[in-house]
Amino acid sequence: MSTLVLDNGACFAKIGYSHEKVSVIPNCQFRSKTSRLKTFTANQLDEIKDPSGLFFILPFQKGYLVNWDVQRKVWDHLFGKDMFKVDFADTNIVITEPYFNFSSIQDTMNEILFEEYQFQSALRINAGSLSAHRYFHENNSELCCIVVDSGFSFTHIVPYCRGRKMKEGICRINVGGKLLSNHLKEIISYRQLHVMDETYVINQVKEDVCYVSQNFYKDMEIAQLKGEDNTVMRDYVLPDFSSIKKGFCKPREEMNFTGKYKTGEQILRLTNERFAVPEMLFHPSDIGIQEMGIPEALVNSINNMPEEMQPHFYKNIVLTGGNTLFPGFRDRVYKEVRALAPVEYQVSVVLPQNPICYPWEGGKLLAENPDFEEMVVTREDYEENGHYVCEEKFDI
Amino acid sequence: MAEKKIAVRSQDPNQRRVLDSATRQRRLTRQLDALEKDNFQDDPHASLPQLVKRLPQFDESNESGNESSKRRKKTRGDHFKQRFRKNFQTLLEEEDLSVSEGPNYLTACAEPSKFPQRHFCAVCGFPSNYTCVSCGARYCCVRCLGTHHETRCLKWTV
Repeated sequence: MSTLVLDNGACFAKIGYSHEKVSVIPNCQFRSKTSRLKTFTANQLDEIKDPSGLFFILPFQKGYLVNWDVQRKVWDHLFGKDMFKVDFADTNIVITEPYFNFSSIQDTMNEILFEEYQFQSALRINAGSLSAHRYFHENNSELCCIVVDSGFSFTHIVPYCRGRKMKEGICRINVGGKLLSNHLKEIISYRQLHVMDETYVINQVKEDVCYVSQNFYKDMEIAQLKGEDNTVMRDYVLPDFSSIKKGFCKPREEMNFTGKYKTGEQILRLTNERFAVPEMLFHPSDIGIQEMGIPEALVNSINNMPEEMQPHFYKNIVLTGGNTLFPGFRDRVYKEVRALAPVEYQVSVVLPQNPICYPWEGGKLLAENPDFEEMVVTREDYEENGHYVCEEKFDI
Repeated sequence: MAEKKIAVRSQDPNQRRVLDSATRQRRLTRQLDALEKDNFQDDPHASLPQLVKRLPQFDESNESGNESSKRRKKTRGDHFKQRFRKNFQTLLEEEDLSVSEGPNYLTACAEPSKFPQRHFCAVCGFPSNYTCVSCGARYCCVRCLGTHHETRCLKWTV
């Protein structure tokens, strides 16, 4: 009886058996202009020789699973003989869902897991609950923690107390990796080069070059300087998929500050975009989204909690999700929360080693937990009682 | 003498249209919605001709066999496609959250920030102090205003 842990994200699916390692696989289908007949699924991305102008087909819309056709195709590929070779009758599955998932989507998920794939038993849970479980596993003495899950579609801030999420404190900021990449595409397209079609390439640029500044206005002033004094400016070499397979950032020694480059490579010169784009996580109002940023929403969420719990929440802030990998993210969150929190409380912000796979590791620990058998819904249970038993048992 | 600088600001006031705040708000919402898109190009497979899979069968003995398998396949695929192909907005409305109590998807949304909004030049991205008279876009210096007028100002209507 093995357990498959699947953190079903909008951008990547983190999947693996609980006794093996995790694999991070894109959770979508791709189409390319060059190979006209084939639609690539999930990790077949590596087979595409020319990822320029890549067309994405995502099953998620605004963070919720909407397109079941595409999701089933991706799952068929992942559960099939090329990847995990799942023996459904003998496998439990732990699968994650977004917060406040719609009941129609939950029902559909139940049907697909039990009636189409026919897993032996299933556990549907929020990704943040798995992160909290992992955190409490390491820090046994702590009672409360607050999880910041900043992913592809949005950012959630969720307080957990004694392993249960506190629904009144859940705060959702509609800024995620997708918004950051699209914004970066727009400003590069306006200022330098038309890249609106190149989602894959610009995503790579964002991950390689962007960082979170500790002192926004000072960095802005430095970025306006000319020549060598401008330590913020970087040149990024775009891939052309014949000689340069993957884009990279030119090191500072090789940069040519005056005049143009002699070689024929396409270069993007990035100055304030490097830190202005991740700044949207902290100030969504920069672009016109009238919402609070991450530190403000953290403090707001904690203030909605009972007063005796508040110092415990400030001491246990956990950052998860892909956006937390920007250099300087953790320090900036600490600095802003420290400035907004009452002075007598201790503030501690934790960034795990691998924020993307942190919920998956929580799922792995949960599968090895002795209480696991009571938390799942078996297929016999579902066939007797229908959706009702899932609604009762799972706290989504 | 040095060449003449083209005056940017002294434009005939009758020629420039000024957008009102409702139009500006609509433009802003349009721009934000565009940021939600997955792809900005069209599906590369969309314009391919659909492969003709079934030629008309004139052979009667084969017809019934093919038809039943076709029917079986069709109901399975169609069933899923029709039931589950709804977009996000439809699903949200189906949930009918305004009548439910307690925290839900809509109440969980973050509130507007207590800090004032910061403005950045639409052309170069540095902090801006000035606003375009016609369309409301921000700019930081006269040179950026010139670029803005040439490229973007009122170039598309909402």
